[in-house]
Amino acid sequence: MSTFFSGGWRLHIVHDTGFVYDGLAHGSYNEARLTPASLPTQAVLSTEVRAVPGAERWSYTDYWGTKVTTFQIDSPHESLRVTGESTVETSSARTPQGNLSCTALLDEAVVDRFYEYLAPTPRTLLPEEVRDAYAIPLLSDDPHASAAAVSERVRSLLTYAPGTTEVQTSAQEALDRGVGVCQDFSHLSIALLRSIGIPTRYVSGYLHPHEEAKVGETARGESHAWIEYYAGSWNALDPTSGAAVGARHVVVARGRDYADVTPLSGIYHGAPASGLGVTVAITRLR
Amino acid sequence: MEASLVDYHVADAWDEIVDTDGSIRPAYREVVDSLRSMRGEDLRGRAEQLARTFTERGVTYAYGGVERPFPLDPVPRIIEAAEWAQLSAGVIQRVRALECFLNDAYTEGVVFNEGIIPRRLITSSPEFNRAAVGITPPNGVRIQVAGIDVIRDERGGLRVLEDNVRIPSGVSYVMENRRAMTRTLSGLFSGRSVLPVDLYPQRLLNALKQAAPVGVHDPVIAVLTPGVHNAAYFEHSLLARRMGIELVEGRDLVCHSNKLYMRTTSGEARVDVIYRRVDDGFLDPLHGNPSSLIGVAGLFNAARAGNVTIANAVGNGIADDKLMYTYVPDLIRFFLDEEPILDNVETHRLEDRDVLIEVAADIGNYVIKPVDGAGGAGIVIGPQADDETLAATREAIIAAPRRFIAQRVVAISTHPTLIEGNLAPRHIDLRPFCVNDGNSVWVLPGGLTRVALPEGALVVNSSQGGGSKDTWVIADHGPGDSAISTPTPWRAVPETVRQDGPSSLNRSDQQ
Amino acid sequence: MREPSLLARMAESLFWIGRYVERADDTSRIIDSYLHRMLEDPTENEDVACRTLLAIMGVPTDRVDKVTTPDVLELLAYDAASSSSIIGSLSRARENAQGSRDVISTEMWECLNTTWFELPARRAQVSRTGPHAFLRSVRDRSSLFAGLTDATMNRSDAWRFVTLGRGIERIDMMTRLLAVRIASGVLAPDWGTLLRAAGAEEAFRQVYPGQESTELIAGFLMLDPYFPRSALFALTSVEGDLAALSDNAIRLGSRGDAQRIIGQARTTLEYSNPDELIHRLSEILELITTACADATEAITLRYFDKATWVQWESEAE
Repeated sequence: MSTFFSGGWRLHIVHDTGFVYDGLAHGSYNEARLTPASLPTQAVLSTEVRAVPGAERWSYTDYWGTKVTTFQIDSPHESLRVTGESTVETSSARTPQGNLSCTALLDEAVVDRFYEYLAPTPRTLLPEEVRDAYAIPLLSDDPHASAAAVSERVRSLLTYAPGTTEVQTSAQEALDRGVGVCQDFSHLSIALLRSIGIPTRYVSGYLHPHEEAKVGETARGESHAWIEYYAGSWNALDPTSGAAVGARHVVVARGRDYADVTPLSGIYHGAPASGLGVTVAITRLR
Repeated sequence: MEASLVDYHVADAWDEIVDTDGSIRPAYREVVDSLRSMRGEDLRGRAEQLARTFTERGVTYAYGGVERPFPLDPVPRIIEAAEWAQLSAGVIQRVRALECFLNDAYTEGVVFNEGIIPRRLITSSPEFNRAAVGITPPNGVRIQVAGIDVIRDERGGLRVLEDNVRIPSGVSYVMENRRAMTRTLSGLFSGRSVLPVDLYPQRLLNALKQAAPVGVHDPVIAVLTPGVHNAAYFEHSLLARRMGIELVEGRDLVCHSNKLYMRTTSGEARVDVIYRRVDDGFLDPLHGNPSSLIGVAGLFNAARAGNVTIANAVGNGIADDKLMYTYVPDLIRFFLDEEPILDNVETHRLEDRDVLIEVAADIGNYVIKPVDGAGGAGIVIGPQADDETLAATREAIIAAPRRFIAQRVVAISTHPTLIEGNLAPRHIDLRPFCVNDGNSVWVLPGGLTRVALPEGALVVNSSQGGGSKDTWVIADHGPGDSAISTPTPWRAVPETVRQDGPSSLNRSDQQ
Repeated sequence: MREPSLLARMAESLFWIGRYVERADDTSRIIDSYLHRMLEDPTENEDVACRTLLAIMGVPTDRVDKVTTPDVLELLAYDAASSSSIIGSLSRARENAQGSRDVISTEMWECLNTTWFELPARRAQVSRTGPHAFLRSVRDRSSLFAGLTDATMNRSDAWRFVTLGRGIERIDMMTRLLAVRIASGVLAPDWGTLLRAAGAEEAFRQVYPGQESTELIAGFLMLDPYFPRSALFALTSVEGDLAALSDNAIRLGSRGDAQRIIGQARTTLEYSNPDELIHRLSEILELITTACADATEAITLRYFDKATWVQWESEAE
């Protein structure tokens, strides 16, 4: 028995998240982006998003191609727990694809097509000085080399430190603090790569923590973020770890930045909420 | 004193009544004769009566925080049948092209793939509503109501100034103006066959019915208003009453299981179609401004599920963006394979670096408009602006060229208007209103003629201290003639409701 | 043909339009009769009379110095910020009508709108013509509105909510008038003033020519089945409106709470012994006052409850 993709893994993921309210929440409307994407390099064998309290669920595919699960909870509730559970087959890392030069990427047709992945968002806006200091010196005519160099530079600019930033933190703020998590590494890389004309997008998903994971053993995983840049084809880079994006990575959503891939968002009325904390249990099955 | 045009001095623009040789244009001869037979104080008295009628009926506009009647000038604006035929054909053509464009932009994107217009026009527009991708209008119509603003240039030619396909307002003034004029100045109408304007509510109601979700034959329709404090509340209320449907606020509505309901004294009642007068960003706090108190949580997903129709559709702002305006002639050629009937005003795109440099250097000779400005907000008329404003504007367009367009300064036409008891030339424009029911696009005969009341002012808008005129379209063959308001067929593109497909707009990016 | 559904928010607006217009009407009658009395009887203690009047209207008077007639007029007639004053009530009625224009008739709207637009001018005229003309015009406009309501609206739920509000306000005002008569003892208004304030003077004298006793007047204001401003008459009308509403809006519990509450109050009143009424007056008034408050609450809960603004909180992981 093998997996679909040579060198790929079969992974079982249980992603738990939610909120607890300081009282009762009413009329809660939510959208979850917790379903792994079906891709040429990734097969989804089973997937489900559940909510407690129970609710009718619908789904649609958003503009970015991500499957969104929507649900509404009418009855007053004290907490909301959402679980995404999936089994996915991944593939091993690919060699960089695409042979456009950085000059070719500046072509009007490319710029027009990928404008959304070139324009800064509030989270990825950097002043020119930052670009001149950190991105321009790394720019060669080879986007693969440039992207790898920028990713490496980001690892030298930021120290990985959980809990130091929030979901709203921008690339600039993370840079000022010199610390961050995968989201900040990705935002800063995106900001720098876009500033030198390489279309870049944000990817959210999961990462199995162990390179030599044992089959059947459940690891405490994490929600992860990395990037993809365009060089005629899309190529993935993990600026947080520097490791190749391959069998351990599961893609859920892509977009311009975190705002387009928010795992769980919603509105309600009632008492203030605090996050329940996120746990991701990830098991290698094959 | 006689209310005549004896002392009337034509300004430096095309005058709608007085020809360059001082004679009265044929369309106006009878009305001018009637006005001449009135004493000046009579006309003033009638003008006061018009204002009083409006105050009593609550035909008011909130301006500077004060509720005031929208001033109605007693001298009507007249459009002859032949010119109206051309004008209405021109605006219908535009609406058809914009419908095709919106349908394409939110689905296949052929117009971009074929290189007719840059994709960036929409991807860089804040009005491009990505949450609207996948919301399919049941009868293919996204523009139930359009207001296409038209002006007359120095040589008498009609030109489109801007398109409004989000929530154009002002039609209530058209109906109320006519009501007030026929009651107060009935003499002016004698012997003229002026086309009626009161068909509008029925036309709109029909268009909303046609837009009902698939399988709903007797839809419940409601007008959604931001509330009594909205500047156009009078209009929302008038339309609801004249259509005989409910006027609701966001707090009256609730979504359950992707269906929309209104709260009534006998429980919750299904709503199938909403004619919304709330901006996109405030419609659904789940997909827009989360602090919106005037929207309905869950509305977009109810529409996405095909259980409710939002009219006009969400995301139409990409079509009336003023930068998109510069491409409308191209859209007409591409989608309709026709030549534009109405010209644009000469407009420069500032994203072109050479153009930007030229405009910035000579900014005092251009009109600069924000691409998404509504109600005349943010418009700078170069020749009328002070140095400080010009400097600030120059800086603004250089910083964000996508956010502005530059236009030639057009001395838009003037019309004799009662100012402090005397007739004086004031600049005017015209907003014809179009209704698309999916089978045809219909234009309300006439439309709203707005008057810039301050002398020399070129920005014509109710929110900029403007007034209005009753606008007459003269029938060709007598009253009731329908030859020139015959609807032009519109190619409806009904689509099968897509449940859960990938967004094709983005397909090429997914590989 | 089904009865058109009525938005909960509209129903609430209509109910309050009925109440506010009736409040302006009743308040103008009450002020007018007091002013009249003070003119007739210059020995009247102005401070005491004014305090009594304010007490009837539920406006607190913690002032230590003398309360004068202009003070009273300011508080009860002109203060736009107060929902107890005439101008305040009429402004609120117009505001509610603005939000429910498509269920009331255009004539009703224009009546309230024109009244509102004319208020500043009428108020300004008071310095020349005295308050009577102002108060008179308020009654004229209120009557016009009531007439238009009855003459131009379908007998639908929408109409019933207006008359319901009008009826409840009327009961409330009548009980206030009588309660002060009891509570203030020697300082209480005389019965003649009370009859005028209740708009009942002529009606009473037609039924009881040449008679004027405490028992008769209290009995007339409370129990007369034919006088439209008597407590019993108003209760009966309110009960009828509630019955018609619940026929059209059957939900859990076939009888609305409000109807039960008003029905009980009406029964108590209807079957009380007229001879004992004067002795049990305070007890009965309290019962009715409580019933009105409870009924309003029940109506609000049942028909208007959900029409509130919702403040959304957003949450994101």
